Amino acid sequence: MSEEMVFIEKGEIPKGSTLMVGLPDVGLVGVIALSHIVSSLKMEEVGSIESKMFPPIVVLHGGVPKPSIRIFAKGNLVAILSEMAIPAGLVVPLAEGIVDWAYKKGVKMILSMGGIAVQNRQDLDKPKVFSAISDKSLEKYLDGITESLEEGYMVGAYAIILKRCSEVGLPGITLLAQTFFNYPDPEAAAVTIEVVNKLLNLNIDYSELLKKGEEIRLRARDVMRRTQEEMIRMNKAQEYDIPAIYG
Amino acid sequence: MYRRRRSIFDILDEYFSRAEMLFERAFGSGWDELSSCIEPLSNIFVGASDVIITIDMPYVDRDSVRIEIRDDVVEVLAKTEKPICLDEMGLRHRMGRFNSYHAVLRVPVPVDKDRMEARLKRGILEIRLPRLA
Repeated sequence: MSEEMVFIEKGEIPKGSTLMVGLPDVGLVGVIALSHIVSSLKMEEVGSIESKMFPPIVVLHGGVPKPSIRIFAKGNLVAILSEMAIPAGLVVPLAEGIVDWAYKKGVKMILSMGGIAVQNRQDLDKPKVFSAISDKSLEKYLDGITESLEEGYMVGAYAIILKRCSEVGLPGITLLAQTFFNYPDPEAAAVTIEVVNKLLNLNIDYSELLKKGEEIRLRARDVMRRTQEEMIRMNKAQEYDIPAIYG
Repeated sequence: MYRRRRSIFDILDEYFSRAEMLFERAFGSGWDELSSCIEPLSNIFVGASDVIITIDMPYVDRDSVRIEIRDDVVEVLAKTEKPICLDEMGLRHRMGRFNSYHAVLRVPVPVDKDRMEARLKRGILEIRLPRLA
């Protein structure tokens, strides 16, 4: 059966836009942050990603079935947001499909939002946000805003997005907020939005994520549980490892 | 290499644990409407000197947390500080109303339960159990 990703477009994808990506991963940081951004900016649903290999899931919103991975747009911003845990076997085709589609659409940069699990997260009052980049030339863009991840492993969709960006020459940045491995983390999502505001010159209020943190954690519990199962399958814990070779 | 021959009880125990896990994966959601209880997200980390268990319990009533340890099983019971209703989350087809958390976790190595330390921070319970030599 084909692993091909089908991008269904119902609205215009503006050329030269920045594509933000939020997929379920550690702490569900990207999903919580990007769904807040989409809702705050009132971004319009302009498409979806489908594949015959996806689990047979639709999400009901307002009584209407919605695809699990949707595309939103407003002005020069585009967002891809998934409400389902990505099956481990589909991570590579989905991540490569997103980059190839973005390249064809003339997207100028991909900004992915994720997390990096740290054991002492419970003791951090304000998690730090690190960044990983597809190209050294992006360092100056992030200077003074985030610390870059110089050495280490990345596992999962964001790793493949970054690698593919590097291969096709599309600028790619992945934000990685310090977070819990398998608990939804609205605080990490809030600090991620703080960085997105600086990078994209936005002014999104993220105080609601902090105020309603417990409710968000409870609501996101089931997606986190499914995501954890997939993270175990793709050996996500390897991100704790230290690479043997330097440089 | 010498391998101890497993008894029929070991094999049955393993079979039922696996069956339980598969059933839970296929049908379980962790929202037990009959007992008004939520199975919280949890994690076990086995370190060189300690076993650290964390349990995520949003809205937990901190004074109600009870931890019991029997053999290799850690059981945690806690009440929520307010009822959690599924219909308030927009799920009108389910009438669940939840007021407690219940977690049962198996510790994979021997631990000293008398030296257990526990703390609750950010709605996450952390239980630290020193390993027995």
